[in-house]
Amino acid sequence: MGVSKGDEVFVNEIKAGNAAAFEAMVLKYQPKLMSSLIGYTKSRDQAEELCQKTFIRVWQKIDSFRGDSALFTWIFRIGINLAKNDFASSFSKRSKITDSLDQNEHDVPEYLSPETELIAMESEDKIMKFIQTLDADTKTAFTLREIDGRTYDEIAEILKCPIGTVRSRIFRARQLILEFINQENIING
Amino acid sequence: MDKDLEKLSALYDGELSYKEIQEGLDKMREDQGLKETFHKFGLISELVQRQTKQNTSKLLFFKDYLIKVNPVMSNLFTAAATVLITLIILYQFDDDRFQVDRESSLQLSSAISSDEAKSQLLDADQNIMEHMSSLQLSSAISSDEAKSQLLDADQNIMEHMIHIMQSNASHSSQQISKNWIPVGFSVNPTNPNQYSNGRNNLFFHLENKQLGIKKVKYFKANNNWIYLIPLQDGKLLTAYGDIPPSVANPMIQSIYQRN
Repeated sequence: MGVSKGDEVFVNEIKAGNAAAFEAMVLKYQPKLMSSLIGYTKSRDQAEELCQKTFIRVWQKIDSFRGDSALFTWIFRIGINLAKNDFASSFSKRSKITDSLDQNEHDVPEYLSPETELIAMESEDKIMKFIQTLDADTKTAFTLREIDGRTYDEIAEILKCPIGTVRSRIFRARQLILEFINQENIING
Repeated sequence: MDKDLEKLSALYDGELSYKEIQEGLDKMREDQGLKETFHKFGLISELVQRQTKQNTSKLLFFKDYLIKVNPVMSNLFTAAATVLITLIILYQFDDDRFQVDRESSLQLSSAISSDEAKSQLLDADQNIMEHMSSLQLSSAISSDEAKSQLLDADQNIMEHMIHIMQSNASHSSQQISKNWIPVGFSVNPTNPNQYSNGRNNLFFHLENKQLGIKKVKYFKANNNWIYLIPLQDGKLLTAYGDIPPSVANPMIQSIYQRN
């Protein structure tokens, strides 16, 4: 699977030096990368450090992204390689590989603190159960998007409804989930 | 404000035009609240996708484990998983059926044969999984005969569920006895198989064969319940709806007393 239409625009903008596009990309993929890196390293601190390093590397290396894979796959591969380097260096006692903080460095948004912003494990069940209570139309559109990775066009075709309806149903699902999260005070910070 | 957030949601999905993306990024640059919301969309995605993968992995891991421990149990698990998939799909479509004026645009037949069927599995209610696993496994350990019977019964049940859900035609020809209808429920004039008390909905389906079911079985799919009730005349009554066992029990007793 190659890069999606939406990510392609982000990538082109980042390649053109658009910092806002880079920030949006970080905001979008940081939770997924953090979660994957925690799974890989079994250490939240290490994952957090690797996450920051990964996005710096992404900013530096974005020109080498050819779009053969999904954007997140490429980002995750960078993260894993950095983790392996860290792991290898900690064993060989060599000096730790660090990213050069050259002029290309771009700050990862500071307010993002994975420690406080990842959803607590005990709250995950609550959210998943809440999603089950969404009405069928909203839940189906949301599920086809988030789990199946379908485009709005494809969802509109499957559900036989206008694309605008798909867009509003997916937004409605997210809005309701966010309201639930806020009500339950699930995300700190 | 909602329009802005709807656009932000579409931006998150990469479903805006180039111009709209530029506008969205500009707005986000100036508005910390929009950034935080965008990030929360990411948190929700991560959670939903990870939970989905975990549920799938649990099923696959459990099957691998069973293959090593006991091939019969493994077959049983396969059957249970198949029923589970069907039930999940059933649950998905039941939701549509309970909304009388909502178009049920996802057809079960295509869902079963398509990739969407897999994604429905990902939407599985943990309760169903646990319920099905415990139901199948606890029954399974009793005897080999019980295992093979259960396996046959499960496959039959699965086919039965598919048959019911594929059958979109009105079943007005079915002989649903008025005596079976719980007190307070009345028939929906537009659908003779739907009964409602204004709050809960109940559907009936009558089949001429009992599919190896000797006593009442029931399954829970989120807020919906499916009751398989073998009748004395050799028919199988399927009652499904958001009717908990506390309501269904008197109905089932009444059916047996009057059948």
